[in-house]
Amino acid sequence: MPTSIPDFLSELLAEQNRLDTPVARFATAHASDAAALVAPLTSQLIPLTAPRPGEQYAFQVDLDSCTGCKSCVAACHSLNGLDEDETWRDVGLLVSPSRAHPFTQTVTAACHHCADPACLNGCPVLAYEKDAVTGIVRHLDDQCIGCSYCILKCPYDVPKYSARLGIVRKCDMCHSRLAEGEAPACAQACPTHAIKIVTVPVAVSPSFLPAAPDPSYTAPTTRYLSARTFPPNLVAGDATTLRVQPAHWPLVVMLTLMPVAVGLAGAATVRSTTTPESVTYYVTLYSWIAGALGLGASVFHLGQPLRAWRIFLGWRKSWLSREALAFGAWFGLATVTLIFPRLIAASAGIGVIALYCSAMIYIDTRRQFWRAGQTMPRFFGTALIVALTLTSPPVAALVLLSKIAWESRTQHGQSRSAHLQRGPLTALVAAREGLALISVVLLLTFPGWTALAFLIAGELLERLLFFRAVDAPKMPGQPA
Amino acid sequence: MKTSLDRLLHARTGPMTSAMVLRPADFGLGRVPARLNPAATTRSICGFCSTGCALQIHLNDLGEAINLSADPTYPINLGMACPKGWEALAPLAAPDRATAPLLRNTATGALAPVSWERALAALTSNFKRIQQEAGPHAVAVLSTGQIVTEEMALLGALAKFGMGLLHVDSNTRQCMATSHVAYKQSFGFDAPPFTYADFEESDALIFIGANPCIAHPIMWQRVMMNRRNPDIVIIDPRATETAQAATLHVSLRPKSDLTLLYGLAHLLVIRGTIKRDFIAAHTSGFEEFSAFVREFTPAHVSAETGVPVATLERLAEIIGTRERVSLWWTMGVNQSHEATRTAQAIINLALMTGNIGRPGTGANSITGQCNAMGSRLFGNATSLLGGYDFSNAEHRSKVAGIIGLPPSVIPERTGYAYDQILDAIDRGEIRGLWVIATNTAHSWINQSRAREIFGKLDFLVVQDMYTTTETAKMADLVLPAAGWGEKEGTLINSERRLGVVKKVVRAPGQALSDFAIFRLVADAWGCGEFFQAWRSPEAAFQILKDLSRGQPCDFSGIRDYAQIDGAGGIQWPFPESIRSRSDLGENRERRLFSNGKFFTPDTRARFFFDPPRPMAEPPNKDYPFLLMTGRGSSAQWHTGSRTDKSAVLRKLAPTVLTVEIHPDDAAELSIAPGDNVTIRSRRGHAKAVAVVTSTVQRRQIFLPMHFAAVNRLTFASFDPHSRQPGYKACAVAVSRA
Repeated sequence: MPTSIPDFLSELLAEQNRLDTPVARFATAHASDAAALVAPLTSQLIPLTAPRPGEQYAFQVDLDSCTGCKSCVAACHSLNGLDEDETWRDVGLLVSPSRAHPFTQTVTAACHHCADPACLNGCPVLAYEKDAVTGIVRHLDDQCIGCSYCILKCPYDVPKYSARLGIVRKCDMCHSRLAEGEAPACAQACPTHAIKIVTVPVAVSPSFLPAAPDPSYTAPTTRYLSARTFPPNLVAGDATTLRVQPAHWPLVVMLTLMPVAVGLAGAATVRSTTTPESVTYYVTLYSWIAGALGLGASVFHLGQPLRAWRIFLGWRKSWLSREALAFGAWFGLATVTLIFPRLIAASAGIGVIALYCSAMIYIDTRRQFWRAGQTMPRFFGTALIVALTLTSPPVAALVLLSKIAWESRTQHGQSRSAHLQRGPLTALVAAREGLALISVVLLLTFPGWTALAFLIAGELLERLLFFRAVDAPKMPGQPA
Repeated sequence: MKTSLDRLLHARTGPMTSAMVLRPADFGLGRVPARLNPAATTRSICGFCSTGCALQIHLNDLGEAINLSADPTYPINLGMACPKGWEALAPLAAPDRATAPLLRNTATGALAPVSWERALAALTSNFKRIQQEAGPHAVAVLSTGQIVTEEMALLGALAKFGMGLLHVDSNTRQCMATSHVAYKQSFGFDAPPFTYADFEESDALIFIGANPCIAHPIMWQRVMMNRRNPDIVIIDPRATETAQAATLHVSLRPKSDLTLLYGLAHLLVIRGTIKRDFIAAHTSGFEEFSAFVREFTPAHVSAETGVPVATLERLAEIIGTRERVSLWWTMGVNQSHEATRTAQAIINLALMTGNIGRPGTGANSITGQCNAMGSRLFGNATSLLGGYDFSNAEHRSKVAGIIGLPPSVIPERTGYAYDQILDAIDRGEIRGLWVIATNTAHSWINQSRAREIFGKLDFLVVQDMYTTTETAKMADLVLPAAGWGEKEGTLINSERRLGVVKKVVRAPGQALSDFAIFRLVADAWGCGEFFQAWRSPEAAFQILKDLSRGQPCDFSGIRDYAQIDGAGGIQWPFPESIRSRSDLGENRERRLFSNGKFFTPDTRARFFFDPPRPMAEPPNKDYPFLLMTGRGSSAQWHTGSRTDKSAVLRKLAPTVLTVEIHPDDAAELSIAPGDNVTIRSRRGHAKAVAVVTSTVQRRQIFLPMHFAAVNRLTFASFDPHSRQPGYKACAVAVSRA
C-alpha cells in the first residue's frame, strides 16, 4: 500500500485545488433574479420620497432594538468593498454608574451627515460636499490630498485615513443605493431593523445622545430613539480608555520650525536696527532655511502631495487653506528678503499672520487641549523665545520658564490630556521639560547657538506632546 | 469655461472614486462595488455557530469567492448574518495558515515542514508503536464540532473501526454533552424538538443561561420578529445585553437555577396550572417528581436563589397561563456541576405544562458550534454512528453491515470522555493523541493542568488550519487542514436542519480537507480498504443516510446535496415517506412530538430529577468572588483562532481581557474603571482591565472566555451524567494590579 500514497496524495491535492466554476454544479438556482431580493424590506427602511427644501436624509437608530451584534459594521465593510482593516461604522456602549440599576445600551454610529459638517468646513481642498437634496455629506476621494484635517475636525471620529490610498474615506450613507431605492448596507443588514433612513429638518437636533460630543458644534442629524428612560450620568463604555494620539511627525517638525523661522525673522528685524546688515543677514538666511525645511516637512504629511496645489480652494472657511496661503506668501517674501534684506520686517509680520493661521487650525477643532489659551502661547511662545534667544537671552529664559509652567497646567485635573500626560506620556513630558530646563540654564550661562539648539529640541518635543496628548472626541465606544 | 475650470479644481471622478462606485449586480444582490460584481453566487452554511445561517458567496468566473453577503432567501437568517458570518472568508487568508505538514525535529526541538509522506509515516509509526507498547487504546482522539458531518463520521469510523482506538471524544463535550444526555434520557433520543419559527410563535419565551443577543444574534432576530407581544424572560445572574432587551430579567444567584426551576414546578402544581391530560397520556414519573418538588416552597427557593417570591409567582404565572411557552437554554445551564438535571428540570416544566409539540413551545437547547448536532449523531464518540448504542449487538451489526465492516471491529462500549482522556494521559495510560480542529491548550477548564498533561504525551498530532494555536504549538506533528469554505459537506444546526457548505476557496499550499486527510491516514494505516466507499463527502453522505434510516434522526428521504441546497436546508426527520408524501415547501419548519409520542420504548417522556448539590468551589474568605465566564462579544468565536484573523472582527472585539465587577466591590477594593486588576484562583492568575458595572451582582465577576488567561483560573468540576465541564463557577480573589 505505501507505494500508492504518492499517487493517492497527488489525486487528493489536485481535487483540493479544483473549484467548481460558476456554470458547474451548485451554480446558484436564482442566478437570473436580477431584482434585489432585499427589496421587500426596503420600503420600511428608507423614505419613499426625496427630502423637501429644509430637510435631509438622516440615520435613525432605534436603540431599543440595537443589541450590539455589530452586523451593521461588518455588512458595511463587505457590501461597500472596504479595505481589510477599514470600517465606516462602529458600535459602542453607554453604561450607567448606578449601583442599584444595571443599565447598558449599545449604540451603533456612522457618519452623522451633520447639518454643519466640521469636516467639510475644515477641508482645504473642498473635498467634502453636502448634497443639496439629500444632505448626505460626501467625500470626493480623487480630490482629497490626505491631510487628515477632517479627522481632527470631526468630533465623532468618522473620517478614516487609508495608508494604502493616501486619502481619507468615510460613510456616504450608500447614496447610490438610496438613489435607486435600496437601503444602505447597514440598514439592510440589521437583524432587528434598528437602523433606518428618515427625513429630518436640517437643523440642530434638540437631543442627540448622552455621553456623545456636544451636538451644537456640527449639528449631527442621526436620530437616536428609545422608549426606555435613560438613567442620569450615563458614561461611554470607553470613557476611561486612554488613547495616545498619532504623532504626525511631519507636522511636529513643521510646527516647530515655522515658529523658529518667524522668531528668527523677528530677531533679524530687531537686530537690523542695531547691528550691521552682514550679521543680521545670517539670521535672515537661517530663518529662510528653517522655513524651507518646515514647509518641506509638511509635504510629507500629505497622503497625496501631488494634488496639494488645490490647497487654496478652501480659504473661505478652512484655516488650513489660510495657513497654506499665508506661509506661501511668507516664503515668497522671505526668499525675496534674501535679496532685499530690508524687507525683513514685512517678512516677520506675514510670518506672524501665518503662525496665527497655524494656531487657528488646531483651535478650530474645538478640542480642549488645543484651546486658544494653550495653542497660541505654545506656537507664539516658541517664536518669541527664539527671537529673544538672539536678542535678550535672560528674558528668553524667563519666557521659556513661564511657557513650561503654562503648559504644565494641562497635566493636572481629570481631563483626557492630563491623564495621558500623567500616564503613558510621562516620559515624553519629562524629556520636554528636561530639555527646556537645560535651555534655561544655557540661556543664563552660555547663550548662543547651543542654547538655541536645546531650545528647539525641547520645543520639538513640546509639539510632539501637543499632538500625542490631545483629547480626541468620539462617539461612545466599548470598554478596552 | 466655468465647467472645465470647475472640473480641474474639483476632481469629482477618478480612479479612487470609481473604485467605490456601486453598480447593480445580478443574483438579487442589489448594488455592489463594480470590481466585486460576481459572475455567480452560491449558498453555503456559516461555519461558526449552530444557528446555521446561509451565506451567499459571491464568485468570480473561476469559481473563487470574492465576497459574501447574508442569504436573503434562506428560511433561517432571512438576509441577515452576525459579523462572524460577514467576515467568514477573512480568516482563510491569514498568514499563519498551515500550508505543509510540520514535524518536530528531535534534534532542534522545532517544528519543521515535511512532506505528506513523511508526516503520514510519522503518524502511523508513532501511533502503532505506542499501541504495541501500551495497548491499542493508548492512542486517543479529541475531535471537534467545527467540521462537516461526513468528516466526523469518517474520523469516528477510522479511529474506532480502522485504527482500533476506543477513546474518541470531542470539544462538543464542552458545549452540548449535557443537552445530549438530557434529551436522550427524557425523550429517548437526543432530539431538540423545536424549529426557529417557535421564536416567532411563542407567547412567552423563557431563556435560561442564554445570551442570544451576543451568542446567537440571528436567533434574537427571530425573537424580535415575534408579533404576539410575548413575555421575554431572561434567567441569568448577569444583566446581559439580552436581559436589557427582555421584558423580565430574573437575576438569580449563580448555580441556583436547579432550585429555581424546581420551585417553579412546585408553584405550577399548587396553582393547578399544569396539563394533567398531557401528563397522563404522554409522560411517566410525574407523581414522583411532583412529590419531590413539594419541599421547594417559594420561601425556600427565594432564600436559595435570591429571587423575590413575587418574581417567582410572576414567572409561574407566565409559564402556567400563557398559551404557548417556549423554554430555551444554552451554556449557562450546560456548563454546570449539575447540568443534566438542570436541563431536565427545564424539560420537566415543558412537559408538565404541555408546552411541547405545539407551535411556539418546547424545551429547547440552543446549540453552540456549527456542527455540534452532527457530532452528537455521527461523531462515533458517546453514541455509535447514527445515534446507536455501542453496547447493543444488534446496533453494532446494523452499523457494520451498512459500512461494510465485520461487526467485530466495533467496540462494545463507549470510551472515555474528554476529561477522562486527559486523566488517562496523566496516568500514562494514554500516550498518543490526535487533536482535530480544537484548541485544548486554551479552551480546557483548568488550562494549566491540561497543558502539563499534554506535555506527558509520547506523540501529539494536531490537525488544524493554523500553526499558531496554543495547541498546535505543542504538537509533535501538525497536519495542515483546509478550512470552512475550502471543502464541502453538511452541517446540522440547532433545529436539526442539514445544510451544505461549499468549496469556494483554494486551500493554501498542501493543506487538505479533513476528509482527505482521514482518507490518507486510513490508507497509510493500512485500513484504506474499509473506507473505499467514502470517496467523497457526498458519497459519505449516502452512507450517513443509510445509517439514519429507521432512527429518530432518519434523513434517508434526502436525495443529495443539491436538494438540501435548493430546499433551504432540510430538518430531520426526513424519511423517505415524507419525500413521497408532500413537497418540501410545507416542511420548511417542522417541530417534533406533535403527536405526543416520544422516542422512549413506551413512547412517554420521562421526568428526571435529583436534589440540588452545592457548587464545587464556592467562594470563601481567601477567594471571596465567584467567577463566571461566557461569550464576550459577537465578533469573537471561542479561542479566536479564526476570528482573531479578521481585521474587522478584531476591531469589534475588546483588545484586552476585561473583567466586569460591581461598583460596590470596586469601591471596596479601590478599583476605578479602567484600572488593571489581578484575578487569582487556586490554579493561576490573570490580569484584566476593570469594567465597573452593576450588570454583575456583588461578589461576582465576569470574564469573556475568548482570552487564553481565563481558563487558567477555572475549576474543573463536571456534571456526573454528561461529563461536561462547569466553566461558570469558581472562587477567585480580585485585587488592583
